[in-house]
Amino acid sequence: MSDFEYVRPTTIDEAVRFLAAHGTEARILAGGTDLLIQLRNNDIQPSFILDVKHIRELQTGVQLKDGLVSISATVTMSELVMDPLINRYFPALVDAANVVGSVQIRNRATLVGNICNASPAADSAPPLLVYGAEVVAIGSQGKRRIPLNDFFVRSGVTVLQRGEFVASIELPVPTTRMGAAHVRRTRRRGHDLASVTLCCGVQETGVVRLSYGSVGPRPVLALDTSGILADEKAPEEAKTAIFESIFAQASPSKKSMRASPAYRLAMLRVLGKQALELALARLNDQG
Amino acid sequence: MNLQTVGTSPHRGGGFERVTGQQKYVADIKLPGMLESKLVTIDCAHAKILSIDTAEAKKVPGVRLVMTAADLPQPVPRFGPQVADRPVLADGEVKFHGEPVALVVAETLHAAEQAARLVHVQYEELPAAFTVSMALDPAAPLVMDPSLRPNDPLAKTNIFNEHHFGWGEIDESKADLVVENTYSFPMVTQFAIEPHAFIAAPDKDGIAVWSTIQHPYWLQKILAGLLKLPLSKVRVYAPDPGGGFGGKQHTKYEPALVFAAMKLGCPVRLVLTLEETFQAVRRTSCETHIRTGFTRDGRLVFQDIKAHYLLGAYVDIADRVVAKGSYAGAGPYNVPAVRILSKSILSHTPPATAFRGFGNPEVNWAVESNMDEAARLLGIDRLEIRLRNLAKKGDTFIPYDKPADGDWSQTVLKAAELIEWHKPLSPSRHRGIAVGIKLGPTTGLSYSLVRLLADGSVIVSCGTSDMGQGARTVVAQIAAEELGVPYDKVSVVMGDTATVPYDQQTSASRSTVLMGNSVLKACRAIHAQLKTRLAKVYKIDESEISVEHGRVALPDREYPIPELIKVALGKLGGEIIGVGEERKDAEQGHPLGGPACFYEFNCTAVEAEVDKSTGDVTITRYVTVSDVGTSINPLQVRMQDEGAAVQGLGHTLMEHYIFDEKGRIRNLGAADYRILTTMDLPKEFYSETVENADGPGPYGAKGMSEGALLCVSSAVASAVGDAIGTTIRDLPLTPERVWMALQAQK
Repeated sequence: MSDFEYVRPTTIDEAVRFLAAHGTEARILAGGTDLLIQLRNNDIQPSFILDVKHIRELQTGVQLKDGLVSISATVTMSELVMDPLINRYFPALVDAANVVGSVQIRNRATLVGNICNASPAADSAPPLLVYGAEVVAIGSQGKRRIPLNDFFVRSGVTVLQRGEFVASIELPVPTTRMGAAHVRRTRRRGHDLASVTLCCGVQETGVVRLSYGSVGPRPVLALDTSGILADEKAPEEAKTAIFESIFAQASPSKKSMRASPAYRLAMLRVLGKQALELALARLNDQG
Repeated sequence: MNLQTVGTSPHRGGGFERVTGQQKYVADIKLPGMLESKLVTIDCAHAKILSIDTAEAKKVPGVRLVMTAADLPQPVPRFGPQVADRPVLADGEVKFHGEPVALVVAETLHAAEQAARLVHVQYEELPAAFTVSMALDPAAPLVMDPSLRPNDPLAKTNIFNEHHFGWGEIDESKADLVVENTYSFPMVTQFAIEPHAFIAAPDKDGIAVWSTIQHPYWLQKILAGLLKLPLSKVRVYAPDPGGGFGGKQHTKYEPALVFAAMKLGCPVRLVLTLEETFQAVRRTSCETHIRTGFTRDGRLVFQDIKAHYLLGAYVDIADRVVAKGSYAGAGPYNVPAVRILSKSILSHTPPATAFRGFGNPEVNWAVESNMDEAARLLGIDRLEIRLRNLAKKGDTFIPYDKPADGDWSQTVLKAAELIEWHKPLSPSRHRGIAVGIKLGPTTGLSYSLVRLLADGSVIVSCGTSDMGQGARTVVAQIAAEELGVPYDKVSVVMGDTATVPYDQQTSASRSTVLMGNSVLKACRAIHAQLKTRLAKVYKIDESEISVEHGRVALPDREYPIPELIKVALGKLGGEIIGVGEERKDAEQGHPLGGPACFYEFNCTAVEAEVDKSTGDVTITRYVTVSDVGTSINPLQVRMQDEGAAVQGLGHTLMEHYIFDEKGRIRNLGAADYRILTTMDLPKEFYSETVENADGPGPYGAKGMSEGALLCVSSAVASAVGDAIGTTIRDLPLTPERVWMALQAQK
């Protein structure tokens, strides 16, 4: 680990000003569960670590306002899975948050950090994409809202500009009934990084939103508006054809040591079916 | 015999300190004025070192020394338990990914780490041989300098040694069925939870070393040789290690620390990271080609085994692993003809060393899997084919070695009963079974000192390392039993070569038998002295007194020993000291230097489900049964067997090193080298013993703690093979590998 200066602003203004001056040499600390590994391995050598945990405006937690649920930058995975609003409206996000790391990791790791880290294998990304999340970013130019699907560029890279940071993630409360489920593949049953991570949401209108990660440089969101996937009586061949088109964007790395491309692509199909069934069952349970 | 303490499971010696964080591991020890250090490595498996520039590193505030091979006595001292081939620091050439080229010593670890990154090494990368086939290629670069092996006909190859064992005439044997296959066993690491750590400190006119070492006396000998110091001037402290599994048996970076400490005149410490540990210790990987002959009714006709074990860049103890691991390769069976050729193959990989099972699981994987295949081809039940061939108690199943020392069919039948072998299963569930055998120690020497104090308490000094296996508890139980004192009144002193008498080593599951017998003898020496003193006090003939098993029998009545200790010691008090010596000498002409002291025999049976869409293997029931002679401490025996089983499930299901195309290890550290978590354990777990008090140790005990690891892979693969209808011959059985095998069938 290289030497760095630790900065702990208490207001957004303070943070914005600091980042405007030192944005390229600074790294943001929230949960630190990804950051500390990179520091320890000397993968990064920032001059400053900016801790956002003491910024008052980022301590709003999970709030419902005007049909939007906002999750502030300090909310941990453990807080998320305990939250009644999240459990009520976004059960697939609870599924995903529950499998990030171990209990100890979830007690520190934040949802916003998971998204900003932009790992293709981030488990929270597929459900957030399925639920239509937006990222609220703040910088010296002010506040801007970025649909999550436009946020990711590739592994470790987002559209955030120099000096910008994410204050919260916002999710619209579903206006129609929806069943959603998150599933994934790992090398063992105990805590592990996903070799495929996938979320499927079925709306009562028949629209299916499906998102998957860890099979390409960034998570992918796909929609089926034909009503075929949502139709339990639709023939298998028709469903398979839709899945094939949805999964056409998968491009797993040949270099990864966690699984071969052939296996990941096969598992994507297994998980797709599994998540669709679960999502349909959850939709029907609401009925 | 009416046993009081032996056969019970009192609280573990040192257990409270371990679980409350009070125990001082080497990494917890802080000596006054101690400096910290960091190894400097290059990102290469094989390279010629052109130059090392330490100038920038030395400028880092707090740095006190940057030591390279050039700063050591010349020629650079080399060491090793089998052959002195390993330089203290890389000597002109890096031979494996992670071999240290320099040691940076600084006032803080942070400064040492920063400076280590500023040591500039210029090098020329060379082709590396990091698989069996690469190392055996006639064009392969030589790993070991031929000058280190004069008069060795193999010196110009990467084969360090070849071992030939066997009997009978294979080529004339008539078999109805010959099963021939090649099996591979992955490269895995011991993964002790306690980090490997070393401290060296000048100690008056000698040196003191703290190490996470299983064999402190062997380390003492190596350091004394390197420094040309008398043994009495090299003091090794060996605080109870937090897991060893063989990886902590032999000298690693202690010599480098000693040279640095002597240069600087103050204590220096090195604590390895997990990543560095992967590059320091591992198991021999192995490719085994096997031909097995059977009669129509499933009787073994011959075993023809060629085992290619992959050693690392330095031999360490791995050639002994190869010899001892393959010697009993034909298994616990009566086989008329056996031919075993095992090769110790050097490579540009981290030095392989001892690992629980000591080379046996590698070959067992091939032998037991071939048994399964034969059973399927011959239409014989997999349990039955094993019972048909199993050596009976007293059978000489390896010529010139110890005959079968247990009723092994009892063990197999108990496992079969616990897995309900003959009960019909639901179609999604499948069973597997396998047996394993390993020789206990072939030589040994253990001294102990037992002191019966005036108040009836006891101090046992013994040089065994308690790395979690529970040796402290076992020796205390034996002393308590023999001296008739409560277990809680026995203290055990270990881990200091200056105050504790010599013990050859803590390995091969020996301590209960060899150190146990030594302590037993020390207690009996106390019995004899008690008898002499009491005869004097009571003015009777010694023949009228008997002292044994915690009690004194006088002509009129019997007393527990503690009631008479004051009488025996008289007015001056003091203590009675007993010395124990247990020796198993080498036998000339024996292929391993001596026959087995005992055998570890285990039967493992598994019930599993395989998800054919994903390749996931779920173990629904797991049974391990070991023949242990007698359990001195039943709870510890169970814990050892369960631990061995879970460790074996690691290389069976998920553990393996992954190399890149240049021989660098890609999955250093825990993120991509997966070991089992509690969530990966079998759904049901049964661990049982067979106890016929037929072992050579105290009260009929045999050594144990490796047996339950021997055949884990074979038993699990037996169930998986039954489920998917095809045999997988490479470990680990990852979901992807199982899925691939299923795809190949389509």
